[in-house]
Amino acid sequence: MARDTLAEVSDEALLVLYANGDPAAARALTLRLTPRVLGYATRLLSDRAEAEDVTQEAMLRLWRVAPAWRQGEAQVTTWLYRVVTNLCTDRLRGRVRRRADALDDAPEVADGAAGAEAGLIEADRMAALQTALDALPDRQRQAVILRHIEGLTNPEIAAVMDIGVEAVESLTARGKRSLAAILSGRREELGYGEGD
Amino acid sequence: MQDLDELFMQMRTKAPQPSDALMARIMADAMDAQPRTTMRATPPARMGFWATLSAVFGGAGALAGVGSAAMAGLVLGIAQPAPVSALTQAFWGTPLETVELIPSLDGFLTEE
Repeated sequence: MARDTLAEVSDEALLVLYANGDPAAARALTLRLTPRVLGYATRLLSDRAEAEDVTQEAMLRLWRVAPAWRQGEAQVTTWLYRVVTNLCTDRLRGRVRRRADALDDAPEVADGAAGAEAGLIEADRMAALQTALDALPDRQRQAVILRHIEGLTNPEIAAVMDIGVEAVESLTARGKRSLAAILSGRREELGYGEGD
Repeated sequence: MQDLDELFMQMRTKAPQPSDALMARIMADAMDAQPRTTMRATPPARMGFWATLSAVFGGAGALAGVGSAAMAGLVLGIAQPAPVSALTQAFWGTPLETVELIPSLDGFLTEE
């Protein structure tokens, strides 16, 4: 199928075409989904190299599940976000374990705000926000990124995280409050005046 | 919170873009994992003796039938079971082994 005609085709239809051996569908899905997967993984992990590994792994799982994909059960993007969330959670847990192994008497989880402050080495806003996001508990960070960076709706986030919509609302609200608290001490540094 | 929404918006517009190398790796994975639906063209296999024979008779089933019939004829001819002997006797009046195919030749063959 010609590439320009695939622009209007849904992710799910492209996945079916891919499973039927259409190489153009593979390319269209790669171009369409990889940036989203990489963006989400990068925000969750705050590490480009690890995010690329996760992106490749998540896409590989998509290719492998394609022949058995049950149409109408889930959106392809929802499924992918869930896979990326799980892969990133595993990696973050691995980081915590390695850190704990390295520091025998260190507390299991460092204080988030203090960690964010200590890790703030770049003065620009994006770095500040990323550092503040890193300081959030995993579930809050996932919900905030999915809602405010990836632009998913609350029901979509609920499907990704396998929780209820009310739980999503609670996580995003608490996450935003925590981010605001973490960033409030850096308003001037980030170029926001007192009156803004 | 307004500042935060602004930061979110900025982060959304500055999403990291995948490198060409990453795209190439993912495409390579896609090609490797893609199910193959096109049948590979294979030359027809050379037919052996039995395959040719069965094709002549219309398949292995027909060949088995012909073979069974041949074996049954051979057995009946050699063993001459009682029902067969009775049948031939009813037709010819004499046992099959004493049938005179050309009785009129006897006179010519008899030496005087």
